Amino acid sequence: MNKSSKEIAGYTNWRKKLILTIIWGSFSIVVINFICLNFGVVSVHPKEIFSLLWGSSHDKTNSLIIWQLRFPRIIMATLTGIALSTVGGAFQGILRNPLADPYILGVSAGAALGACTAIFLQYATGYFLTPYLPLFALTGAMLSIYLVYMTAKVRYRLPLEGLLLSGVTVTFLFSAIITILIALSEKGLHSMVFWLMGDLSTANWNKITIVTFPVIVGCLIFFFFSLDLNALSLGEEEALHLGVNIKKLRLRIFIIGSIIIASVVSFTGLIGFVGLVVPHIARLLVGPDHRVMLPTSALLGAIFLPLCDTLARTIIAPSEIPIGAITALIGAPVFIHLLRRKSTKNGL
Amino acid sequence: MKFCNKLILTIAFLLLILSSLLSFSFAEASNYPLTIIDDTGSAITIPEEPQRIISTAPSNTEILFSLGLENKIVGVTNYCNYPEKANNVEKIGEMTPLNLEKIASLKPDLILGYGLYQLGEIAPLKEAGYNIIIIEPMTINETLKSIRMVATICGITEKGNSLVESLTQRINKIKTKTSNIDISKRPKIFIGGIYETIWTPGEGTLFNELITLAGGRNIAASLPGWAKISPEFVAKEEPEIIIIPIGAMGQVDESNIKENISKHAGWSNIPAIKSGKIFVVNEDLFYRAGPRLIDGLEKLYEIFYE
Repeated sequence: MNKSSKEIAGYTNWRKKLILTIIWGSFSIVVINFICLNFGVVSVHPKEIFSLLWGSSHDKTNSLIIWQLRFPRIIMATLTGIALSTVGGAFQGILRNPLADPYILGVSAGAALGACTAIFLQYATGYFLTPYLPLFALTGAMLSIYLVYMTAKVRYRLPLEGLLLSGVTVTFLFSAIITILIALSEKGLHSMVFWLMGDLSTANWNKITIVTFPVIVGCLIFFFFSLDLNALSLGEEEALHLGVNIKKLRLRIFIIGSIIIASVVSFTGLIGFVGLVVPHIARLLVGPDHRVMLPTSALLGAIFLPLCDTLARTIIAPSEIPIGAITALIGAPVFIHLLRRKSTKNGL
Repeated sequence: MKFCNKLILTIAFLLLILSSLLSFSFAEASNYPLTIIDDTGSAITIPEEPQRIISTAPSNTEILFSLGLENKIVGVTNYCNYPEKANNVEKIGEMTPLNLEKIASLKPDLILGYGLYQLGEIAPLKEAGYNIIIIEPMTINETLKSIRMVATICGITEKGNSLVESLTQRINKIKTKTSNIDISKRPKIFIGGIYETIWTPGEGTLFNELITLAGGRNIAASLPGWAKISPEFVAKEEPEIIIIPIGAMGQVDESNIKENISKHAGWSNIPAIKSGKIFVVNEDLFYRAGPRLIDGLEKLYEIFYE
């Protein structure tokens, strides 16, 4: 396969854009992380935070608050932001649908069903299953992906409408089962509902170690599909002519995306809107070339989610607002604005 | 090598159990360090008498206050509204998710948690070496045991014993009054609510135990846990007394609630509605696993028989 054959006219200067994006993005992530570190119910002086980070301060309480509670949470938010935005962008690409998000193909419903099953079984059987919850979530995500794929595939093709509809249907089906589990489980109810709302407060370094690999590696792999995604954005037939194996591409992005989302979502629960809105913002900023758009969207996600989480934990401190509410509250108006702008531009 | 490891582990484990048993039997003298086994079955060693206590549940707060430990409480939840003085203590936020930063910043030397879900949430503090005791009483007896446990941890075993003693006496008083009442003469009780959907306490709940102790027959006694029931079920069971537990007493119009219940479709033939035996009570007396459960018990007896 000759890569240059997939080049699309107009997508020039991508190297320059990418390098700029990465430099700006990494810089912003560091700054945002540090800013977020400064906000919390307990105020710790920035100077003290610096010395805690350098290891020159030994205040036990502050060190616990910054190193074990606040920092892991921010890092987890960063990773989750990267994962949701990248997968959202890639899914929008393979589905050729601007309304696609990481959850639209049932991955989240599967992961949620897995997690809720684990919680349900824990209370029903008495086995302490919490440590295996991510495994359950991943299994659930895989199951949903398999179901969606099997329902959608027509011989050697994965038609778009079928894929979307089966994704939505599987989501409904799994949500129904989750509802039943919630109705049956009195003691687990609390944990389940909480999980479904999305929550970063349980982040710790162990979880981050587990999540980092699939997120970073998965998102890097997505980057190598950029050219194929670019070709696909021209249309299925055009992509076929350019030598893209659409079925394989969809399948791969599906599977890798589901692994990324399952690994993140099983620790954080369902955080909405990030995966839908951030890729659009990225597209608006750097254009539709996936080689630049996907990394930009990852970096924007890494900035957006820690900020939302910081708001979620400080606005009504010491109480917390579920992060899903904040992302939607900020995300929805931005999204509406973008949609309006685009439609007026196109003269619609 | 493997065998050796196992042996060491087994011995260590036995020693741990032995030491906890020993410390329990010597607990009377309240000599620290003290090892306590909490309601989740984990052993916690309390190095010295706690001076800065955080309660993460209203029931725990009420236990602490009833033991006269108010000067040692440094943090309570947003929901801790009893006794009045609990409102003046610094707030740590919700019961869930727990705000660990806030808790850590108050530098507690004892955290009284509630329920398995909090154990999961509070894990980072546990790893950091904070003393965390999880209390989750399922019955009145276990609640009394929890009161004793808190007293022991705080070095006031005697006070705990006398509080539990007086609570037990009050329970026994009700018990002797109701023990001779024939089953068929006990009133049928329905615990309702102010919402359309009816959740009622069934078998295994503190509320159900209190109803039974007070000499009532809970119409949902055979259903497990908090059960969602249909209005039909209520109509069929024909309760003689309806009890409506509500939070925030005094802020809602009682007569309004009673009128709503009496007008419920299909319930006009229920004896309780015909005779107007609908009572609005403060839910905290029945939901919070603390000393005020006994107030709730007496309240129920009063409603049933006086």
